[in-house]
Amino acid sequence: MLRVPLSKALPNAVKAVCSPKRGSTTLAKAPEKIEVFIDDKSVMVEPGTTVLQAAAMVGVEIPRFCYHERLAVAGNCRMCLVEVEKSPKPVAACAMPVMKGWRIKTNSDMTKKAREGVMEFLLVNHPLDCPICDQGGECDLQDQSMAFGSDRSRFTDIQFSGKRAVEDKDVGPLIKTVMTRCIHCTRCIRFASEVAGIDDLGTTGRGSDMQIGTYVEKFFLSELSGNVIDLCPVGALTSKPYAFTARPWETRKTESVDVLDAVGSNIIVSTRTGEVMRILPRLNEEVNEEWLSDKARFSYDGLKRQRLITPMLKGPEGELLPVEWEDALSFASKAIRDAGSEIGVIAGGQADAEALIALKDLINKLGSELVCTERAFPDDGAGTDLRSSYLLNSKITGIEEADVVLLIGTNPRFEAPLVNSRIRKAWVHNELEVGLIGPCVNLTYSFDHLGEDPNVIEEVLSGKHPFAKKLLNAKKPLIILGSQQLERNDGVAILSKVQQMAKHLSSKIGSEWKVLNILQQVASQVAALDLGYKAGVESLKECPPKVLFLLGADECAITRDDLPQSTTVIYLGSHGDNGASMADIVLPAAAYTEKQATYVNTEGRAQQTLVAVTPPGMAREDWKIIRAISEVVGKKLPYDTLNEIRGRLEQVSPNLTRYGEAEEANFYDQAVELSKEACNKLDCEPLEVKYKDLEDYYMTDPISRASTTMAKCVQAVRKQKESKYYDSGTA
Amino acid sequence: MAKYLGLDKLQTFAKIIKQNGGIKGSLYKLYRQDELKLGTLVGEDKYGNKYYENNMYFYGRNRWVEYADYYYLDYDGSQVPAEWFGWLHYKTDLPPHLDPSRPKYPWMADHTENLSGTAKQYVPYSTTRPKIEAWCPPKKK
Repeated sequence: MLRVPLSKALPNAVKAVCSPKRGSTTLAKAPEKIEVFIDDKSVMVEPGTTVLQAAAMVGVEIPRFCYHERLAVAGNCRMCLVEVEKSPKPVAACAMPVMKGWRIKTNSDMTKKAREGVMEFLLVNHPLDCPICDQGGECDLQDQSMAFGSDRSRFTDIQFSGKRAVEDKDVGPLIKTVMTRCIHCTRCIRFASEVAGIDDLGTTGRGSDMQIGTYVEKFFLSELSGNVIDLCPVGALTSKPYAFTARPWETRKTESVDVLDAVGSNIIVSTRTGEVMRILPRLNEEVNEEWLSDKARFSYDGLKRQRLITPMLKGPEGELLPVEWEDALSFASKAIRDAGSEIGVIAGGQADAEALIALKDLINKLGSELVCTERAFPDDGAGTDLRSSYLLNSKITGIEEADVVLLIGTNPRFEAPLVNSRIRKAWVHNELEVGLIGPCVNLTYSFDHLGEDPNVIEEVLSGKHPFAKKLLNAKKPLIILGSQQLERNDGVAILSKVQQMAKHLSSKIGSEWKVLNILQQVASQVAALDLGYKAGVESLKECPPKVLFLLGADECAITRDDLPQSTTVIYLGSHGDNGASMADIVLPAAAYTEKQATYVNTEGRAQQTLVAVTPPGMAREDWKIIRAISEVVGKKLPYDTLNEIRGRLEQVSPNLTRYGEAEEANFYDQAVELSKEACNKLDCEPLEVKYKDLEDYYMTDPISRASTTMAKCVQAVRKQKESKYYDSGTA
Repeated sequence: MAKYLGLDKLQTFAKIIKQNGGIKGSLYKLYRQDELKLGTLVGEDKYGNKYYENNMYFYGRNRWVEYADYYYLDYDGSQVPAEWFGWLHYKTDLPPHLDPSRPKYPWMADHTENLSGTAKQYVPYSTTRPKIEAWCPPKKK
């Protein structure tokens, strides 16, 4: 596995370390800048900057195939050749550091000839597939051959020997390979070994026999594998579920946010004819950089299956029958009216803030306080009153600066793949040390496994454990606690210990550095807690209400057996899953691509999804349904438009409408003081995580459970395990 | 003489009125069919449509059909059955009941008129897959 020492780190890593934002104390003084000339334009750059980066500073883009900002420099495509004055040969701009006074000519005859030559060689062995190639329209080779290639062809296959042909690989259900199109830029190999941390891809052979592949017949399975599709500059690696379905110029792009995990990755939803065609990542340096996890990228077919498209009522034989909205609303309202204040709510993992506040307002108006989230969180001590207790306080970008990370009871690789890729990035470039308390899982980087026993937390806190020394000596330590552990009986004790540990560490550093981090599992949890939802369904189990309102709650936190026979269950959600199966009244709602809604990620960053397609059939936006019910019940909610309900959100918690910003949390010390009073006894039961293996990762929520692509991924992982090349240590 | 005075026109007019059921009947026919014609009844099909011929009219207008009364104003060309179609369009001069060479098999289907625009019209089923697959609630055991 790749791990670069700091001295040899990538140019961008060097740049990042040097930047003042990091506040690094290791650098005595900033190195002197040197002057270079790009097309006679002077630019001052730091030593070690490559020609390509220097050119980018003055807005000159040098064509490239193999070079990528977030990957190591390979320098093998030669497309970025440029002329440097007084140099006899053109130089590869991506790999060559600038020297003082260099005059770089990016548009001279020599540069143009070099580019034309490189392009000609690439095209000699590139098939004329463009009309049937899925990359068509967004292909770097296509674009650059138009911009920089020769205007006529010298290719005449007089021997009729044909172009180079390479057999296609089967690398799994997500990535389609057409290896004849490959131009050997090796971006996919570098991504796999540097970012994904899986050394499955590599090259065999040399010269025209060179091939990219997995060496042996196996799948390229990783939670980040889909990103090689975006990285591939040609159509060698394309999306299998998207194959031959749409062209990029005929799709409509909607900027949105992913809600399948708590990271809140920024996405672009491509739609055509009212159908989601694919999902691509959107650049956001603070959240997902330009990567996207496979679940977020490929589970969009789950949005088209198992959908609730009409309201349903339970018929005389206990079967759900489709009805009109009018009947469904009047039945639901009658049940709610009859229940009076004996009504409870469980909010699921993908509920948006608008629906959460509308439902909470309605329930409060009816005189009940039983508004709960599906995922538990300790109620003792400060509970969920202080935001610092449930946020990833140091932010995702903070992980890059950290030097020691202690993971407690979490498997970030599958709970939040893009958080894990940040940890790995810091591990590669920043000599990050990682400790893990919890089941020993493969995190794609090396770590100290401190054990599974929760009492190890106590040992580290008291300083007895050897890892405690590393934490204490760290300049920027981080503790990331998986929210799953807080659902345990001793969750409050774990949280309290971790808070104490974090306080101890931050008092030692004495800066603004946040040590305590909670990694949430689901997209709705932070918004729900911000709005004052009660975490966990214990109170509902103690006194079952007459009407139970499930807002997309499908994780079976409460089953039909926990409720008396007379309880009416109303399910409001987009998919027919566990929740709808136990419901008496089903109200169809919109999925995240079908509504403009607010979600808050695990950092506390409010982001909004936009409407990419309309909700199917009779489904409507969640908060509008709740608003309609409130009117029929006779407790009309005072908002009719999105702006008005967002005004209400702002009243309750102003951070919820500051889109794109992560609101800082405070009162760490007070949270520690309050939690000290709570029960402090740790159980001896070992810490457990839900997703240990890649096969657990793919199907975790109603959308991904409905997705056939995700089901195929699970099957592929199982098939891989039977393969003779399977190595449980690296997969 | 009457011919020269144009009185035969009046005679013909009187005949037409008479054949079409008197003044009241003629007005009704005029309302339904927009014209009154004089002709000999050649035959009647099983649906009640009556077929007339009068060679006084020029070719193309000398054979016609008067649709059965129950069609009222909703008559159209497709209500003429196949066996009368040939006679009406000069494919043959022998009307079906006088033509012994017409095949008659028990498997021959009954004539149907064109049902487009009615509730019974043919609508092809969609061959494309639905964009959204709805959830089917599980059946109770």
